[in-house]
Amino acid sequence: MDTAIPRAGEADAPARQTPTIQRTGGPASRPVWPHLLGLLVLLLPIYLLRGNPFWIGILAFTYLFAGLAASWNIIAGFGGQFSLAHGVFFGVGAYTVALLYLRAGISPWLGLLPAMLLGAVISALISWPTFRLRGPFFAIATMALNEVAAVFANYFDHLTGGPRGLLIPFRAGLANMIFVERWKYALLTGMFMVLVVIVSLVLLRSRLGYYLLAVREDEDAARAAGIPALRVKILGMMISAALTAMGGGLFAMFVRVIDPPTLFSLQDVGVKFALLTLIGGMGTIWGPVLGAMLIVPLENFLRTWLSDVLPGGHYIVLGLFMILAARFMKRGVVGAYLTLIRRRRA
Amino acid sequence: MDTFLNILVAGLLLGGIYSLVSIGLNLVFGVLRVVNFAHGAVVMVALYVTYFFYAVFGLDPYIAVVLVVPIMFVFGMGIYWFILRPLQDEPMMQTFATFGLLIVLQNTVLAITRGEPHSMNTELSRLVFSIGPLNVSAVRALSLVVATIIAGGLAAALRYTLTGKAIRGLIQDRPVGVLMGINVRQMYTLCVGMSAALAGVAAALLAPIYSLSPGLGDDFILPAFAVVVLGGLGSTMGAYFGGLLVGIIEALAGFYIDPTLKQAIWFLVFIAVLILRPSGLMGRLGAEEVGLRGNA
Repeated sequence: MDTAIPRAGEADAPARQTPTIQRTGGPASRPVWPHLLGLLVLLLPIYLLRGNPFWIGILAFTYLFAGLAASWNIIAGFGGQFSLAHGVFFGVGAYTVALLYLRAGISPWLGLLPAMLLGAVISALISWPTFRLRGPFFAIATMALNEVAAVFANYFDHLTGGPRGLLIPFRAGLANMIFVERWKYALLTGMFMVLVVIVSLVLLRSRLGYYLLAVREDEDAARAAGIPALRVKILGMMISAALTAMGGGLFAMFVRVIDPPTLFSLQDVGVKFALLTLIGGMGTIWGPVLGAMLIVPLENFLRTWLSDVLPGGHYIVLGLFMILAARFMKRGVVGAYLTLIRRRRA
Repeated sequence: MDTFLNILVAGLLLGGIYSLVSIGLNLVFGVLRVVNFAHGAVVMVALYVTYFFYAVFGLDPYIAVVLVVPIMFVFGMGIYWFILRPLQDEPMMQTFATFGLLIVLQNTVLAITRGEPHSMNTELSRLVFSIGPLNVSAVRALSLVVATIIAGGLAAALRYTLTGKAIRGLIQDRPVGVLMGINVRQMYTLCVGMSAALAGVAAALLAPIYSLSPGLGDDFILPAFAVVVLGGLGSTMGAYFGGLLVGIIEALAGFYIDPTLKQAIWFLVFIAVLILRPSGLMGRLGAEEVGLRGNA
């Protein structure tokens, strides 16, 4: 009787109840606790390095860029949309938090919320026209957007301070998000990294996450399967942009001097997110984080040691890294590791 | 009225420079389907090579071009063989690698020159014609003339020579082109080499106009992308007229709106074209979609 063909009414009833996604061996079927354990281990250096102001500063930057790269990875790695416009959201976050604090006296902790909201709204407005472009055209258009944002930031100087930038005075205090002890910054940016990784974990286990992956693999097929591709891409972009804007706000409070060349620099911001993610492994949870752990300290080290001997020397090394990573490590550190494991099992 | 005409001419002459840079970019973009972010930096490198001959051997940029063009051709072939060819069929990685190349070239030049600005002022650079109410700089007029000759010559070569037909075949449909026996690697090497060689020609013409800095390429790359999108993927004449148009738009916007907003103006043009006519003024319909299909 088991093999009997079910009647029309019975056929689709069990299908509707069964959460089929959970059984396909996708990300949702794997346990979460190793990820959380990994995050705890990554936060350990804060305690170990707390007495060393030089290294704790680099550590804070590393966490911040790990979180930012992981935010970029949400739309670029999961959704397959190679955005170079994330400098815009980064800048929007930094200016919003800084201006609300400077002009209205609003605590940066509260300022992060409107910053994220504004980042998400702007990303949706930007995405609507640019998402009809594909591949390289999308990359060019988003890069152009970044340049336009830099132009506007310079132009509206009564708001942004123009080329001179904004200076946030040093008034230490928890409410001001300004600390004397540098390790508190590392803790703050470390928490940001944890938040972005958790959002990525949750997203990959959600319907939206699966939709994003489907759009990345084959947009036309995804659309044919009934996935609203444009809406999925815009939603992914909004989440990614909101988190990037949050990172921008934290950056503003950490460095306390923000100006257009810093915020909208392609090599230090917009493309940096891509570099970290690609070196670590695109579309994976840990790729962007590992990429940041490798590259950010290395870059700071090179910047410190090479600047006297060879101006721009650390950029030469970074550029070579980009070329070599594109040629020999297409799936990043995480990808190489997964291939190794698979080969050992086989 | 005189002001308007003068601005129009200034825009046209600026457009000639943009055309020159964009034709080379479009050759790689149109044929290989690669967004070469490093193209502006290649123009910058060519300018420094020209400067090298100027400073060391005292060669005038217009004479040095005979040496610079073959050097840049080999440079371009190197870019193809070491960076683009191994990444064929992976547009994202190619894009990323050319960005890496841009950073390497810029900062290598910065490290060598220590960021000191250089310029090559020849007698010609101060020469200005006056035609009625119009003032025309001689070196800028020359670059427009040369851009016109190159655009016409290249378009004719693509149309009438066998090699040109092979390249056009690859633009239209690579798999079929391969089936017809076109040597893809040879054609691609030729295209990237020619693109860099054209950057060498552009460098000779830019030498008396611009002062040299490692970031010089950034001034060209964004308008050049706007030009390529405006003119249409792979269309030489499209890049030529697109360049003139972008130059005129920039000059008019700079005068009547605000010179600091010119990037925003390009971008609006760029986005408007992408949305209203994605294939560009002279391109094939649907070209912007093909860009993503790695196997195209």
